Amino acid sequence: MSSRFTGSTGTSLIGGTETRTTRSIPALLIPIILVGAALALVPLWLGDSRVLMGVAVLGLAFFCYVIGFNVIFGSTGQLFLCVGALAGVGGFGATILADNAGWPILLSIIAATLAATLIGGLLSYVAVIRSLGVIFTGIVTLIFSLSFDALLLGLSHLTGGDTGRLIKSGSDTFLRERLPPYYLMLGLALVFLLIHGLLRRSHIGWAFRALRDDEIAAELAGVDVARYRVYGALIGAAMLGLAGSTYALTEGRISPTTFGFGHVDVVVMVMLAFGGIGTLFGPIVGAITFTIVDEILIDFGQLRQVAYGILVIILFLWMPRGVIPSAASLWRRISRQVKA
Amino acid sequence: MLEVNGLSAGYQGNDVVHDVAFRVAQGEAVMIIGSNGAGKTTLFQALCGLLPPSSGEVIFEGSDITGIPAERIARLGMRFVSAARHLFPRMTVEEHLLLGAYPHKPDPKTMSIVLDLFPRLAERRRQHAGTMSGGEQQMLAVGRALMSKPRLLVLDEPSTGLAPLLAKAAYEALDVLREQGLTVLVTEQQVPLAMAFSDRGYVLENGFIRLEGTTEQLAANPAVRSAYLGVT
Amino acid sequence: MTANILDGIVLGLQFGLLAAGLTLIYGLGGVLNLAHGQIAVTSAMTVAFAIDAGVPVVLAVGLGLLAGGFFGLLLDLTILRPVYRLRGEARVLLSLLLTLGVSFIVDGYLNWRYPLKTLNIYIGGGAIDILGVPMRRGSLVASAITLLTITGLFVFFRSTSLGRAIRSVIEDEAGARLIGIDPKQMLRLILVLSGVLAALVAVTRSMVAPVDTQSGLSITVFALIVTVVGGLGNVIGALLAGIILGIVNVVAADLIGSYISLILLLVAAAVTILIRPAGLLGVKE
Repeated sequence: MSSRFTGSTGTSLIGGTETRTTRSIPALLIPIILVGAALALVPLWLGDSRVLMGVAVLGLAFFCYVIGFNVIFGSTGQLFLCVGALAGVGGFGATILADNAGWPILLSIIAATLAATLIGGLLSYVAVIRSLGVIFTGIVTLIFSLSFDALLLGLSHLTGGDTGRLIKSGSDTFLRERLPPYYLMLGLALVFLLIHGLLRRSHIGWAFRALRDDEIAAELAGVDVARYRVYGALIGAAMLGLAGSTYALTEGRISPTTFGFGHVDVVVMVMLAFGGIGTLFGPIVGAITFTIVDEILIDFGQLRQVAYGILVIILFLWMPRGVIPSAASLWRRISRQVKA
Repeated sequence: MLEVNGLSAGYQGNDVVHDVAFRVAQGEAVMIIGSNGAGKTTLFQALCGLLPPSSGEVIFEGSDITGIPAERIARLGMRFVSAARHLFPRMTVEEHLLLGAYPHKPDPKTMSIVLDLFPRLAERRRQHAGTMSGGEQQMLAVGRALMSKPRLLVLDEPSTGLAPLLAKAAYEALDVLREQGLTVLVTEQQVPLAMAFSDRGYVLENGFIRLEGTTEQLAANPAVRSAYLGVT
Repeated sequence: MTANILDGIVLGLQFGLLAAGLTLIYGLGGVLNLAHGQIAVTSAMTVAFAIDAGVPVVLAVGLGLLAGGFFGLLLDLTILRPVYRLRGEARVLLSLLLTLGVSFIVDGYLNWRYPLKTLNIYIGGGAIDILGVPMRRGSLVASAITLLTITGLFVFFRSTSLGRAIRSVIEDEAGARLIGIDPKQMLRLILVLSGVLAALVAVTRSMVAPVDTQSGLSITVFALIVTVVGGLGNVIGALLAGIILGIVNVVAADLIGSYISLILLLVAAAVTILIRPAGLLGVKE
């Protein structure tokens, strides 16, 4: 697959060809635990401000989205431009089931996550049987995204239309307090990281790498490209749905913009591109950086969009493999020159 | 007219042809023969500017044209007919010929010369190139190249995909063009055809020029005879 | 119903011309220009400012067309340079991302600086009866201009040597190079042309409904969908798809409601992609 993304100069648009995946579980667990511990300390410092905690929770939600997108795009190379929509299926689905249908919260979350998973799998399956290339997959998923958006606006009696709606379910539980949502989302994020990490070390992860690097060779080696692509989409979509539904229920209110393309997909792509597409810890770097950056930029109104536009151009022009891999290779080049 | 020295070219860092040198003088018919995989097409691609050479020089009518891209070489008086022909499937015969003269206005005289040479094309003026047979496509590719009144015509394996009778007809057309003063260079796998047409030739093997000489000399060469003429 | 169909045709012609520009760029250069809508909007704003400054409408429109062409040229000279070094899918992907970035920059800037600016060219005079339906003059003038432009495009591509040269690059790039045609030059021309077309669509659209700084993204999305349904690289397909989708859009919006009709349009596009990825008239590879 990287052959498809390799230009004539040999530069690849997707990085993450991390061949140094060790098989040891501690090597995976330790960094995750460290990250978790570090992030767990954040409330000590922000905990007093409800607003800032809200931002932190949103940041963690995005962290989850980025991991999900990383599994779908970074690992199996499917350009799903419907990250927000899949998370929205989770968010709005759980909301409607819990509030309107009166289902228990946990069941609503599970059902909504399941719905998102199935839709993600379906999109991938369709793309695979019709042999849609990256561009067409992107367009079809974009169409899903736009349709979902229109649906949200159209079914305003359920979704609150343009203005969104409040979520009554869970309003008297720990979900709406100041700290628990943070740790809940953090827990989710760490679990997702663990899953992604384990995936990479498993035979599924090997299949992912094979089909991403050279689809034809992978097929010849017996890798059922179709099946693994769908697996990747199912797992990623499940993550997105779960994160979306959990986030919605902790926020207490949602609107079409909560899961809109401009608000979610674009930001997620920038976060992942920045951190390193396909890498395990890229999502952290990206999510933290841009949660902070976004907060700083929020006062600038529309200029924020200009900033994102510039970022997208800079990122994909000069650092297509993400900041970490690029910084790493730059460092290597500098240290080599210093030694010489 | 055309002078090539030390030309090496290949794909992704690996050279397929190495240190190739040959000359074509005005009015000559020169062949470069070799079997499948010898590097003829790679050599052709490097000559016509579709593939940048890794080393060497190409001099046309005294000017160094090494490394110049195809679209500029095409305006210098040299035209190329590749084995793949590179026709425009949804454009008509007429449009091909009109385009052949780009960017100059097509000369009606040249057009009628080409159509006289290939009456089949005249019959199919409005036909789309994509629906034509192999032989007709070959004629069209040559006709298109001729519309620019080139001084040197280079063809890569003109007999490709053509039935023996058609291949022979193709070379007969080239003979006619030679009589009218056109200089021709062909690369060819079907050696007897090339030999019947050319004055001089080079043998390309595994990317290297192994032999050169007049057609008579090459035809008499025992190695050539056994490898390419099926004579033991 | 007739009124809907006629309105649909008016809309569809504009969809078609919009998509034509986009599809030409793809067919010629393997590049997807997601800043297309922004080119349209920027040109419209240029016209609006010119009119505000007292410039006569016709001249202002001319200025807008120039602006569109200039924007296209700018894209070719700057953002697309690195894209040209790639081939195939990598090229499409990078062009998509970079032009998306450009569209954010332009959209953000326009909305920040001139959030309320709109362009609305009013064509005076009463309604004219077409097939029993009173059509506003604005719609008729817009459609007439669009049809004239489409005809002009056909004449250009069919009968001029430059038009033929451009077609040849779309057909077989290597073949075009072998007869002395420079694909990069042709692409530059097409980018300028597509910019002018985008500007023209924005201007004619403003005769029917106001065009404002927020329209950019939806213009691009519609152009993209029509382009894909018509077949990437196929101009006739784009025009055909435009008209069909225009009619579907208006009829559905009237019968069912605008959100559902949008979904219908999107789903129709998705279904076409799935059944015939090459598009309505695309050539099967």
